[in-house]
Amino acid sequence: MPTRLVRHAPRARPDLRAPVARRARAPLAVAGAAVALVALLSGCGADITHTRVERSLAPTFTNLYLQQQALLGHSGVTAATINPHAACHRLSPTAHNTGAGSDWVCQLTWTDAAHRVQKGKFELTVHPGGCYEAGGPTKIVGPVDIRAAGGRTVTNPVYEFDACFDTT
Amino acid sequence: MTTTAAPNAAPNAASAAAPPGRARIRTVYRWEIAKLTAQMRTRATLTVCLVAPFLFVVLLDQQSQVPKDTLFGRWVHASGFATPLFLLGFATQWVFPLLTSIVAGDIFAGEDQYGTWKTILTRAHSRTQIFWGKTLAAGSFAVLTVTVLALSSLAAGVLLVGHQPLEGLSGTLLPSGRAAGLVLAAWATALIPLLGFTALAVMLSVVTCNSAAGIVGPVVIGLIMQLYSFLNGSDAVRHLLLATPFDAWHGLLRDHPYYGPLWQGALVSAGYLAICLAVAHTVLRRRDITGG
Repeated sequence: MPTRLVRHAPRARPDLRAPVARRARAPLAVAGAAVALVALLSGCGADITHTRVERSLAPTFTNLYLQQQALLGHSGVTAATINPHAACHRLSPTAHNTGAGSDWVCQLTWTDAAHRVQKGKFELTVHPGGCYEAGGPTKIVGPVDIRAAGGRTVTNPVYEFDACFDTT
Repeated sequence: MTTTAAPNAAPNAASAAAPPGRARIRTVYRWEIAKLTAQMRTRATLTVCLVAPFLFVVLLDQQSQVPKDTLFGRWVHASGFATPLFLLGFATQWVFPLLTSIVAGDIFAGEDQYGTWKTILTRAHSRTQIFWGKTLAAGSFAVLTVTVLALSSLAAGVLLVGHQPLEGLSGTLLPSGRAAGLVLAAWATALIPLLGFTALAVMLSVVTCNSAAGIVGPVVIGLIMQLYSFLNGSDAVRHLLLATPFDAWHGLLRDHPYYGPLWQGALVSAGYLAICLAVAHTVLRRRDITGG
């Protein structure tokens, strides 16, 4: 829209042709810079890919799981013992596992405090900017509120959570 | 309202120190600021920015449900630092364009509405000087309102909810000191696209000569941009929208922050700023104002 206005403007005062031409150079330079910017920014592939989602979900889950285990008073759990692995895809077959949507599903595999391998299906709503809401399976990660080691009722950090990843 | 003479003391003092062109821009700027401070609308906007976050927290406190749809909404009862971030995510959707266009959309068109262009242009100030003075005044107002809103949101959160550690966006708790700094940094990043919207409002104000178009235009354009992102439009186009950089702060609230969207957003905002101001300046300089 702005460039159209620039193009139309000189016609309004034909008697001022010479100074107008000189003055029009600045907006033209700006428009040129804008075109270069468009080329620069649009050259990349899809912002949301399954690799990016997987790389974000696994470490975020680890951090939250460590918080949950600390609240429950389970000791001996570290990021290394949890050793999570995520495999994500979209339910919509036409989406080719890229792009924002509420149909992202991730299979997460990790090791719990009792050294058992756990598998859980996480459902994700991924937004175009790279932020997502994830919900875990209640049977494995626990309900929305959990009883902490001290007896207090606290929000279960793993039940539902928000996270973001870089899309650039 | 613009017919009164410029303040006498200011230009004399300023012209001694600075080159006359810049001193004149400063005179126009001071005069515009004086006009803005006298307006009911600007005072009301600032008051709302100051009070609204406190009301918001009080209303949220009365509800057991949490607004999970917006980032940090689920933590509004758990940490006072979630409040300003929740409000930031909420406000960028449509409040920010309105906060700036309420002044920037009217600052040029107001002269058309009151027929005062001829009066201010008979003074020793050129159109370019008036343009920059007014644009800088509109920019200052935008920065001031958002700063007030940011500090008020942070104060409302910390005073009414508390300064508990904040659950970040990578699954780690951010200690309160760091969270406070990040909240302010996140709000500061919103100033960049905000000034892009200021330039957009200035352009609409100059081009349409209509205050209503100048004020409502940027809000509608902002909403269309949000809608485009919401409806999952192409990534390349979304990167070029002025509403996208408003989300660039998400990368800061992590254990290992990322800044890619921030740089990209700054580039895009600078592009909008340059194009809109260039168009506005060109149109204003070539306009036939003899009709009043």
